[in-house]
Amino acid sequence: MQNAPLQTDPLLRSERARFPGTGHSAFGLRRSQMREGWVGLLFALPHLLLFGVFLLAPVLYGFYISLHRWHVLAKSHPWVGLENYAAVLSDDIFWIALRNTAYFVVLVVPLGNLVSLGLALGLASVKRFQAFYKVCYYLPVVISIAVVAVLWRWLYNTQIGLLNMYIGAVVGGLREIGLPLAPFQPLPWLSNPLWVMPSIALMSIWWGAGGNMILYLAGINNIPDDYYEAAMIDGANAWNRFWAITWPLLKPTTLFCLVFSVLGAFQIFGQTYVLFTGGAGPARSGLTVALYMYQQGFGQYEMGYGAAIAYLLFAIVLAFTVLQFRLLEGRAERAGPDEKMDKPVGEPVEEEAV
Amino acid sequence: MRILIQTVKYLLILLGAVAMAFPFYWMIITSFKPDTEALQVPPTLWPRQWTVDNYRQVFELVPMGRYLFNSAFIATAVTAGVLLSSALAAHAFVRMRFPGRGFFFAVLIATMMIPFEVLLIPDYLIIRNLGWYDTYWAMIIPWTASVFGIFLLRQAFLTLPEDLWEAVLLDGGGHLRYLFSVAIPLSVPALITVGIVSFLGSWNSLLWPLIVTNTPELRPVQVGLSSFQTEAGLRYNLSMAAATISIVPILVLYLIAQRYFVEGIARTGMKT
Repeated sequence: MQNAPLQTDPLLRSERARFPGTGHSAFGLRRSQMREGWVGLLFALPHLLLFGVFLLAPVLYGFYISLHRWHVLAKSHPWVGLENYAAVLSDDIFWIALRNTAYFVVLVVPLGNLVSLGLALGLASVKRFQAFYKVCYYLPVVISIAVVAVLWRWLYNTQIGLLNMYIGAVVGGLREIGLPLAPFQPLPWLSNPLWVMPSIALMSIWWGAGGNMILYLAGINNIPDDYYEAAMIDGANAWNRFWAITWPLLKPTTLFCLVFSVLGAFQIFGQTYVLFTGGAGPARSGLTVALYMYQQGFGQYEMGYGAAIAYLLFAIVLAFTVLQFRLLEGRAERAGPDEKMDKPVGEPVEEEAV
Repeated sequence: MRILIQTVKYLLILLGAVAMAFPFYWMIITSFKPDTEALQVPPTLWPRQWTVDNYRQVFELVPMGRYLFNSAFIATAVTAGVLLSSALAAHAFVRMRFPGRGFFFAVLIATMMIPFEVLLIPDYLIIRNLGWYDTYWAMIIPWTASVFGIFLLRQAFLTLPEDLWEAVLLDGGGHLRYLFSVAIPLSVPALITVGIVSFLGSWNSLLWPLIVTNTPELRPVQVGLSSFQTEAGLRYNLSMAAATISIVPILVLYLIAQRYFVEGIARTGMKT
């Protein structure tokens, strides 16, 4: 599979020439072309139907639900207008959930991207066993959250958890060689409310770092070697080369990764759900917006209330996405044509122009 | 100095690999330890006494075989559905003009931004209204519409030269023949990538099957695993045996087809 953007496709190019603009003016076609139109619709139909029923309609249906008092078992669902939204906004627990979620986003997005970038830089600089390291770094990404949480619940156990055991051993060793350290107290990873979100963030970074690493690696590999060679001739060391070449040329990739990390982090659900078996952790410290929506919708069966929570989350995520895309576009424009060519491989920019 | 920096760099890279892989090593060896050794302090890095008794117990305590079958069946059906519906639609988007083509494609792409929370409640109610609650259908059909699938296959089909299409036409063939005897055989890597991403997503999904099923016999392995956690309690060697069983198929698939997994991420920028 090579990259063949739309412009090189003869069929689409000629079509574009014939139908400038949106391209869906199907009028004025010959009879055979009209027939082809219906066959085409038939080909796309299974997908469009599934897509319409399970993706597009639910977006509208969900909003409709959020405007009603909608208990699953009730016979009728009375219209309440924006009452659910007002109730959610004056619900203290919702604000706890939102604060926890925001805290998670703040922890996981910068740190996670830093780890991903670090792994990608490390990977790009090794010659031998690169494939082996890549397999290792990427491994957690393919594992389900159920397995990850079952595993980490044990690693995080205060008394018999592996993390406390090893940290304790290291602290003990350092004390023996005479460092002035306090005796090790087992860390309350998942039992102290103050520790819960950072612990979940650490686990999530471990779980997901490999994903963005692949994107950073693709971005790094896109930078021509000539740049580095020229810089070496000028006597630039590795540190200077990173800040003068890699970092600025990687900026589009970085922004892209940040946008999608924020999108993903706001949706956090599975981590706390499995770590605390459906609960919210000590003093609700692990309660996230998605988990609260789940508890309201599928625990209390208050679908209207749950849907209102989901839509508020959607609004927040959408606002952030729009804001970040504004930033992204602004920077790309200021950066000039050279940098624009360096878009990450995955970004569907040309494709949207259909 | 140079050698020192190189050594430190390699040590860090190795440390990263250990940090990523060690928990899995730990999980697997613990699943083979007897109860006493599993809780022993300090822990043993290599089981002194190997046992498969944990695995026997997992299969006795919960219908693990049934869970595995459900997951395999659901994931295979989802993958087949995604490949078929995406290939047909991608071909239509590449080779045919139909009313609303550009509009549909723009809508498809725009929906990639919708968070799953928004869909959860309405999709659940739709499934109930269709009478699919607590059936395999509920876990298969909604996931066979993959925007990612269309997107990637469309890209692959676009790279095929125009001559091939004309040759099929000259030969008296039509869309179906072109799709199945030319486009699909020439796009195998893209199909594998889409297939793997779909299979993985279905195999690993937890929340959706939890919501739309009630009967334990219908539940996939992820749901079984998270409820087994409560049953196993502090007997971590049992949890680890159950977790190991659930990741074996994915691990094998990953080691065989590693580059397609990576491709899936690199080409969309999406986590599976």
